[in-house]
Amino acid sequence: MSALSRDAIRTMMAEVLQAQGKSMPADDSANLEEIGFRSLDFSELALRVEDEIGDELNFDAPELRQIATISDVLDFLEQLQAA
Amino acid sequence: MSDKTEPIGPASVVVVSGGSRGLGLAIVEDILAQGAKVAAFARTVTPELEAVAAAHPDRVVAASVDVTDVKAINAFLKDAESRLGPIDALVNNAAMGQDSLHVHTSPEQIAKIIETNLTAPLLLARAVLRRIMAKGNRGRIVMVTSVCAQRGYSGLVAYSATKGGLDSAMRTLAREMHGRALVNSVAPGFFASEMSSVLGQTQLDTITRRTPSGRLVEPDNIVPVVNMLLFKDTNINGQVLTVDGGNSI
Repeated sequence: MSALSRDAIRTMMAEVLQAQGKSMPADDSANLEEIGFRSLDFSELALRVEDEIGDELNFDAPELRQIATISDVLDFLEQLQAA
Repeated sequence: MSDKTEPIGPASVVVVSGGSRGLGLAIVEDILAQGAKVAAFARTVTPELEAVAAAHPDRVVAASVDVTDVKAINAFLKDAESRLGPIDALVNNAAMGQDSLHVHTSPEQIAKIIETNLTAPLLLARAVLRRIMAKGNRGRIVMVTSVCAQRGYSGLVAYSATKGGLDSAMRTLAREMHGRALVNSVAPGFFASEMSSVLGQTQLDTITRRTPSGRLVEPDNIVPVVNMLLFKDTNINGQVLTVDGGNSI
């Protein structure tokens, strides 16, 4: 299956937040800590993306620690799909 | 005649896996300072280990061997014995790390961690013990494990499983080798140098504050404990000695 678009990943991220009663800001520079998107939420999002593309996106924790904004999340998941 | 088993003597020829840098290299240097001989190997022999071997040509055998390559390990042990004399001790130190959540660690990577950190040390211990027993000798085995075997730390699931497995094997070996070998583990906490590469200064300060000794563990803290298990008559057997400044208590 082909890679998910940035918009599709963004929609999925919004779904993860909505499931916790949180909302996805329009601004991609929003800080993850401020919007309450934690590292395990990123894991959940990555696993949802995996389900869609039918492939595993494995990665080490240090890479995850660099992620601070919504934009970082989208960039990283795009990179993982391209790898 | 006394029915007491005589103490197992100090080690004289020690195999050290992962002996080319860091804690392994420090252990190699300490064994030499103790007057014993060392057969050290690692996947890559560093200039530091080369220098140690060059300085002690009659007491050190150093080679580049992958700990998961059983044939190469056996050939290395045979060569080391022909040059140094009968092997009577092992420091099972070689290991690979992990820093990834379990759900994002590939099955291949999990298999590699288990092979390197659990299967290979078990096979190495087996090979060394076979050589010791075949000659009617006795010896000492030290497993370098980790506090991760006792406490949960995020990002280290497979790694912790291997270290816990090694601690369990150590206890069973200590009983199984009844009087023929002393088998123990040394379980370091996280080294300050390792943690500083992934944590910020604030987090390091917090961990230090929560460590009862007030200090994060350094390789130099581990070396004397390994030395004791290799050379002293303590009758410690089948134990895990945790060295972490009391952080895990």
